[in-house]
Amino acid sequence: MSDDPQERRATYRTALAFGVTAVASVGLFVTYAFGGQEQIEGALLAVALGGLGFGFVEVAKHLLPQGPYVEEREPLASSEDEQLAFAADFERGEGWMSRRGFVVKVLGVAAGAIGLAALLPIRSLGPNPGNSLFRTKWRRGALVVDEQGKPVSVDTLEVGGAITVFPEDHLEVEDSQTILIRLSRSDVVTRSGREEWAPQGYVALSKVCTHAGCPVGLYQQQFKKLLCPCHQSTFSVPEGGKPTFGPATRSLPQLPLMFDSQGLLRARSDYQEPVGPGFWDRGT
Amino acid sequence: MSRRFVVALLAGPVAAVLLAVGVHSARATAREGESDPAAVERGRQLYLTGCAYCHGADGGGTSQGPDLRGVGAAAADFQLSTGRMPNASPDRQSVSKRSPYTRAQIDDLVAYVASLGPGPAIPDVSIPPGDLQEGGQLHLDNCAGCHSAAGNGGALSLGRDAPTLHDATPVQVAEAVRTGPGNMPVFGPETFTRKQVNSIVLYVEYLKKPENPGGLSLGLVGPITEGLVAILIGLGALMLLSRWIEPRAVREEPPE
Repeated sequence: MSDDPQERRATYRTALAFGVTAVASVGLFVTYAFGGQEQIEGALLAVALGGLGFGFVEVAKHLLPQGPYVEEREPLASSEDEQLAFAADFERGEGWMSRRGFVVKVLGVAAGAIGLAALLPIRSLGPNPGNSLFRTKWRRGALVVDEQGKPVSVDTLEVGGAITVFPEDHLEVEDSQTILIRLSRSDVVTRSGREEWAPQGYVALSKVCTHAGCPVGLYQQQFKKLLCPCHQSTFSVPEGGKPTFGPATRSLPQLPLMFDSQGLLRARSDYQEPVGPGFWDRGT
Repeated sequence: MSRRFVVALLAGPVAAVLLAVGVHSARATAREGESDPAAVERGRQLYLTGCAYCHGADGGGTSQGPDLRGVGAAAADFQLSTGRMPNASPDRQSVSKRSPYTRAQIDDLVAYVASLGPGPAIPDVSIPPGDLQEGGQLHLDNCAGCHSAAGNGGALSLGRDAPTLHDATPVQVAEAVRTGPGNMPVFGPETFTRKQVNSIVLYVEYLKKPENPGGLSLGLVGPITEGLVAILIGLGALMLLSRWIEPRAVREEPPE
């Protein structure tokens, strides 16, 4: 051992750190063997790894020879002999290629064929989404059910109530999730063409935010506004989901509703515009 | 152990439970069917002093406060017992605070408001008994959006917020579900059954002391505090550590 007191101290610290690692590792074994306790095991593992790391750093900083070490870069240019040897090699190969022209042509055909084959994966892209982005599971006459699959009737919601609904048999289908809110009938400001869409004050809006697709689930009953928790887009429920604040620029699509002869709520049709955030061939 | 001994051992707790249930339901019926004219009259006097300025002398509401006819005992009890009413600044969200009324005064006021028109009664939160698992599911589906999965509350728009659920008593939770105070939606008897409401109440009670696997909860408010700790303490510690491992290199002057 060196006589340098600094180095000796560093050696002691390193040995101590590795010793701590050993003790903690044994402790980890013992804890595990006696039934285990996650917090204690985690702490022991942290101490064991920490000791190892501390020891390594001590070795690197105080015990190993310190730099800086300079490695000179070799000259970039090749020597003249190497250049001549390369030229000779090259000429030999070139001679072979010009004597065996047929092989080179076959090679050309092979390269072309591989190039064509490499195009094939393009065919496998997809599947083409078709019109799936334009449609949801809602259909004309689809029964409106809550998250437990129970049909919604005229009395299900009181004025000021809100629940999440799905088309029957399609519970939990993300693009079809819809928030159903009951307003007092005088509150509904119908847009033209939507006069019949909100019977008895029941307004159904797509729960998929038109900005980034988060579930717009925070209904502020007093203001009759829907708030998206991700980026604070705010939509006015009486005005058919019109955005009033935040980054969303398009209205939440409104689902046309009707009551059947038994007083159960049904969809008049699918959403009449694509739900959720924009995509490139969505149109306006 | 003899059979008689077992019966004797069980009889005590069973009797205690039955007694508790009986007393509780008797109290609940008394509160639900509150129509004691004396209480209504005492409540009316208190109402005229403390509430009529905003809600109108007959409870019909003014531009400062809503119509109270038909809001029911549940709404009145929620607003008064949480201290949200009386509210000195009606243009702002009324927050939970210490009520200036005694419990007896609140009962009288509730009786008066209930007498103004039919509305939801104060719910019984123990009968029928709730189911914790169902309550957890209903909480996630219907409450967690605003009040957060841990019940800590969260921000809304237009300067409003959804309050923490940890300060609410079981009855207050059920009242809020049924009456939709402030910006909260209403969940009437056709939306949730009484059992479903009691399940939610049970789960909200559970959230006050949830199972904790350990570690700092950081208030269980999600990525805001967690991100702050990760960036300030986590990254900061890593930076200091890397400085300790390899101090800034001393630049060597290039040889002439």
